[in-house]
Amino acid sequence: MSVHKIECISVSKKYISKNQTVNALEEINLHIDQNEIVLLKGRSGAGKSTLLNIMSGLIKPTGGKVIIDNNCINDITDDKLSILLSERIGIIFQSFNLLPTYTVFENIEIAMVPKRLNEYMIKENIMSYLEKFNLKDKAHLLPSELSVGQQQKVAIIRTLIKQPLIILADEPTGSVDEETAGEILNHLMTFKKENEVTLVIATHGNISEKFADRIYTIDNGRIKNL
Amino acid sequence: MKYLIKELKRHRGRTIASISGYTISTVFILLVLSVAITNEKSSFGILRGTGTHFIVYIPSNASCCVNCDNEDSKGSLVAEGVNTIMLTSDLIDSIKNIKGVRDAAPYLLYKLHEPKYNADISLGGIDISSIATKNNVCAVTNLVAGKFLSEKPNEIVAEESFAMAHNLSVGDTLKIYGGKLLLAGIVNSGIKPGKADIYAPIGNVRRILKENLKCISPGFEMNIILVEVSDSRIHSQVISQLKDRMKYFSVSSYNCYQPASEVMTIIEKASTLLTVLIFIFLIVFSAKTQMTSLMERSREIGILKSLGWSNSRLSNQIIFISLIQAFIGVIIGILIGYILILVMNSNQIRLFNLVEFNFRIRVIPLLIILSIAGGLIAAIFPITKLYRTKAGDLINNYM
Repeated sequence: MSVHKIECISVSKKYISKNQTVNALEEINLHIDQNEIVLLKGRSGAGKSTLLNIMSGLIKPTGGKVIIDNNCINDITDDKLSILLSERIGIIFQSFNLLPTYTVFENIEIAMVPKRLNEYMIKENIMSYLEKFNLKDKAHLLPSELSVGQQQKVAIIRTLIKQPLIILADEPTGSVDEETAGEILNHLMTFKKENEVTLVIATHGNISEKFADRIYTIDNGRIKNL
Repeated sequence: MKYLIKELKRHRGRTIASISGYTISTVFILLVLSVAITNEKSSFGILRGTGTHFIVYIPSNASCCVNCDNEDSKGSLVAEGVNTIMLTSDLIDSIKNIKGVRDAAPYLLYKLHEPKYNADISLGGIDISSIATKNNVCAVTNLVAGKFLSEKPNEIVAEESFAMAHNLSVGDTLKIYGGKLLLAGIVNSGIKPGKADIYAPIGNVRRILKENLKCISPGFEMNIILVEVSDSRIHSQVISQLKDRMKYFSVSSYNCYQPASEVMTIIEKASTLLTVLIFIFLIVFSAKTQMTSLMERSREIGILKSLGWSNSRLSNQIIFISLIQAFIGVIIGILIGYILILVMNSNQIRLFNLVEFNFRIRVIPLLIILSIAGGLIAAIFPITKLYRTKAGDLINNYM
């Protein structure tokens, strides 16, 4: 029933500060089919994170629109966006965005709150994911008590546990060592195999292109090649 | 609920600051109300009864009572230096039915020339038990010597000025009004609209006038009605209602009810204004606290929004947090205020050494309602901000 393809049409984003205007994105046009793995490549500051944030509806573009499942994500109501974010779109942030005073378990649990599931089921589900990611014994620790790699894994579990149809991952391996990066990619690919998921990964280049069905390179806020 | 409690515990400092705001405001409002109510009660007790009396009568050009057998007596029914006609007791009921009238009493005031004293001597017949008599004529509280009136047939009390003018003492017998009257007591009633030289119970005066002076007019009951109003603030309304109904009446009132009424209105408004000001402070303070909380939590709230938490779920959290803080704050405030008042009273601490602090249980619901309202209003600002800001901007603190 759901068509989880993404289309960006003439998307642009300007940040206006006191004396200057920064064009973070200019005339971005791209198309991502359902179940594709797409790499958004580019240097730091190229505009990849901004594009992912616009694609997920977290920020509004200055111009253009993003179409997901035939809905213009930038125009839908906040309630509809909340439903999309809780059920269909999963975001993995570059900076993990874990709540510092919540335990590992609670950080994952908060992603399940909007789904209104049975508490026992939630617990079982979380523990099974923690086991898969070798974090079962860390459930009651705070993020500050984990390594960077472990924090990233928690952030990924928080996204995957919602069983989204679209995953927007911003530098999921950007701040971890090679071994952990491999582990993380492995988890994402396994999830991709087991579920019909559209995966958009923003990377500055440390993820092999062999994983991708399609690659877009972003430079200074523009798509460099198609 | 789990995350709500967690949120309150998580930011202990902010929670304590917010609760303290409600607590301090509650204590202040409690103290203001405590003083205001005590002040209002004691001041109003005095002011409400200030100038709330007046007399009514119908002036006449006749020099003597109608149908009076004794034309040589040269006596007449008077009020404030003019002759009056007689009134019937059913008028008292009519006046009592006017809204705001606390009491109305009959008064029979007769003036007679007594050659022995070479003076016109006025005799007032009063209803001893009436509050209207107390404030318009005299009462036992005005007694300066001897005893006050009883129902004994020939006992009278005299005004101090009259007794001094004629060198009279308690126990003296006055041969006036066609008989012998025993001076039981001396009063100083001050300035009153129904003042006379001597007073006796109204039944006795009626008997003296009928038997001794042969005033045999039918329905001979009174010539003045004494009126007491329940509150000085409605004094003028009562008078105008009375004048509307009984156009021929002359109404005589000392207008001291007016300043009393004004002072009462000022006291009422001042305490209300002070309470409103503290309430505004409470709202501003708590709104600021909730707003600061939103700013501090903006990143977290942005993350929760990005995970699919709806604006309504987050708004409910903000409202409940605000309400819980308000409720805990007001309860602590009431307890502290209560203890403070107890301590101040036990140490005889008074405002300006005069006004006592009194804890009133009936203000508790008002305080709780004020704080809950404050909590709700305070939550409006952050919620508005929450609805207007996208998750990404909240995460990046780009508000």
